Amino acid sequence: MSRVLVAMSGGVDSSVAAALLVEVGHEVVGVTMKTFCYSDTPGHGKTCCGLDGIADAKRVAQVLDIPHYVFDVEEDFTRDVIDDFVSEYAQGRTPNPCVRCNSNTKFRDLMSRGRALGCSFIASGHYARVEHAAEGSRILRGLDVSKDQAYFLWGLPATLVPRLLFPVGALTKDEVRRRARSLGLVTADKPESQEICFVPTGDYRDLLRKRLRAHPALAPGEIVTSDGEVVGRHEGYGSFTVGQRRGLGGGFPEARFVLEIRPESRQVIVGTREELFQDEVVVAELNWLDDAPEPGEVVQVQLRYRARPVGATVEEVGESVRLELAEPAAAITPGQSAVLFDGDRLRGGGRIVRAARTARVG
Amino acid sequence: MEPIYLDYAATTPVREEVRDAMVPYLSGTFGNPSSIHRWGRAADDALEGARAEAAAALSARPREILFVRGGTESDNLGLLGWCGAQRALGVTPTLVVSAIEHPAVLAAAEAARAQGAHVEKVAVSPDGALDFDAAGHALGRGPALASVMWVNNETGLQLPVAKVVELARERSALVHSDAAQAIGKVPVDVREVPVDMLSATAHKIYGPKGAGLLFVREGTPLAPLLHGGGQERRLRPGTEDVAGAVGLATALRLAAAEQRTESARLAALRDRLAALLDASIGGLRINAAEAPRAPHVLSVGVEGIEDGSALVMALDIEGVAVSGGSACSSGASQASHVIRALYGAEDRRGTVRFSLGRSTDNAAVEWAAKVMSDVVARMRAA
Repeated sequence: MSRVLVAMSGGVDSSVAAALLVEVGHEVVGVTMKTFCYSDTPGHGKTCCGLDGIADAKRVAQVLDIPHYVFDVEEDFTRDVIDDFVSEYAQGRTPNPCVRCNSNTKFRDLMSRGRALGCSFIASGHYARVEHAAEGSRILRGLDVSKDQAYFLWGLPATLVPRLLFPVGALTKDEVRRRARSLGLVTADKPESQEICFVPTGDYRDLLRKRLRAHPALAPGEIVTSDGEVVGRHEGYGSFTVGQRRGLGGGFPEARFVLEIRPESRQVIVGTREELFQDEVVVAELNWLDDAPEPGEVVQVQLRYRARPVGATVEEVGESVRLELAEPAAAITPGQSAVLFDGDRLRGGGRIVRAARTARVG
Repeated sequence: MEPIYLDYAATTPVREEVRDAMVPYLSGTFGNPSSIHRWGRAADDALEGARAEAAAALSARPREILFVRGGTESDNLGLLGWCGAQRALGVTPTLVVSAIEHPAVLAAAEAARAQGAHVEKVAVSPDGALDFDAAGHALGRGPALASVMWVNNETGLQLPVAKVVELARERSALVHSDAAQAIGKVPVDVREVPVDMLSATAHKIYGPKGAGLLFVREGTPLAPLLHGGGQERRLRPGTEDVAGAVGLATALRLAAAEQRTESARLAALRDRLAALLDASIGGLRINAAEAPRAPHVLSVGVEGIEDGSALVMALDIEGVAVSGGSACSSGASQASHVIRALYGAEDRRGTVRFSLGRSTDNAAVEWAAKVMSDVVARMRAA
């Protein structure tokens, strides 16, 4: 059996992940990352990542009789995740902080700490699977389709994959909770953490206001149709994301959605639902877990968490990748992830830079 | 290999003699020392016996011993109680503390500053020298109290308390010393080194946690921090912990009696550990190596590993229990205030503190050195 470092957030999934590893006889070392301090926001009701998470993880580790340590990654997390989050909104994009944290902070830190602690494997409570075979290791989608989190893992260092374990990836959430209850873990019935862990108020604009102060993203600007007609005003493009309907005012003959954000002119471009559909995506900041896709290759791309993957042809590969979608997709959002799959197998992905509508779209 | 404990500076197990001495006062002689009846008298008798025993171990007089609930409380009562007494007289007190004091002293001094006291923090060099010019200057500024620890908890460094006392005497100032890490490791005698106040705690010397004392030389002005009954000359109200006091007194007596032989044994083991580490790990610094040091602490700085807490975790997994800077500051990746004070804020060596105690033997030290050198090699490769 091996020495395994397991990241315990204090939630039920990673608690059960740790328990399952203990059950099969691994020498398990639990760690919780202190990413963010809630001291500025008294009375918050967060379920994960914060100090309550640390306390819960510690109690679970005590029940499992494994060592538990706290890694303070607050500095890295602030730089790589929170600062990036704010700067993306400032540039009119919609960030994906959980991806960013997995890619730049969490797993990188686990990898180096794990090596330092003599651990052969790194484990987490993600709903994904990893298959270790002679010809290589690969990340697969979790078996519970409704909980699958492989989408969030595209940015992991490829060198880490052979050392990964996702113990709950073959279970359903109900099974995980059942296991937790039968083990008497304090985290068994904890609610899901939905919001962004460092936005305790649930409204990311509070964070933007605090961090950006007087910034064009928070200054009033025009709401403009795709034909260039000014149809209203907004209180700052930082409050908008592509596909959003809220905050555009009424009075349109049919529903309007945000199509695009133009930070240089502070304009929010709106249009009809039909106009939201696009069929070309450019993706950068690429990361491949095995070979990069070849031009002309047909792949499946997932453009949002919980979205159905769509077929796409790879047009250009380099610093960025251009994908031509087999069918148009709605609200392709710069800053979000484009994640490539081959069936259940996670291939890698990148950040969406821009999307376009070619003549092929009706 | 069984896990080995090398963190005696964090806390120690209660030794058998201490436990045996305490047991009668938990359920049998359980009375409240303030009660008039026979149960009360029996408890009071035990309490005063403990006071006399504790006083004797320090060459103090019984009435100079205040029982409190541990080292932190003792430091706070010494510093803030003295400042309070000065303020009651309408004068602004001055506190002079070394830069490497325990957080209980540093934070108490900060609290005093917030209440209007002058606070001067005095530098210490790695060879154990204190900035006497700065200390002397500050101590000459009206009513002043120096607080200089006898032995530093993170490095074992011994501060020149006797010289501070001389300096203070010449300026009619007083001296408090936190001796939590000194008792049982170096001679601590308030007649030989006539400090005005001294703090001690039982759990560092094989006594129970939550039992401490403050020695207060007769005539030293002190105001209470807590208010309630008349216990401990009104300076520490609250029903006394008789069993704790008995445990503390027994631990103090044994520590003083065994100090000379145990210190020699520990010093030899510490030097052996230092030599083994030095031989197997490049870029190792023995912290405060040039200073006079208590025999139970070996603090090392490891080049190429910035985060001492990561080393502590790695050692723990391999079965060697140590501390980073100190147990209180672990979890923080920044160097402790002590290492920064001694070696500058730019120091990038991860710190590990080995601290030795009664059950430490040659085999433990050799095993720890082996594990440490393996872990350092692995971490440097990572």
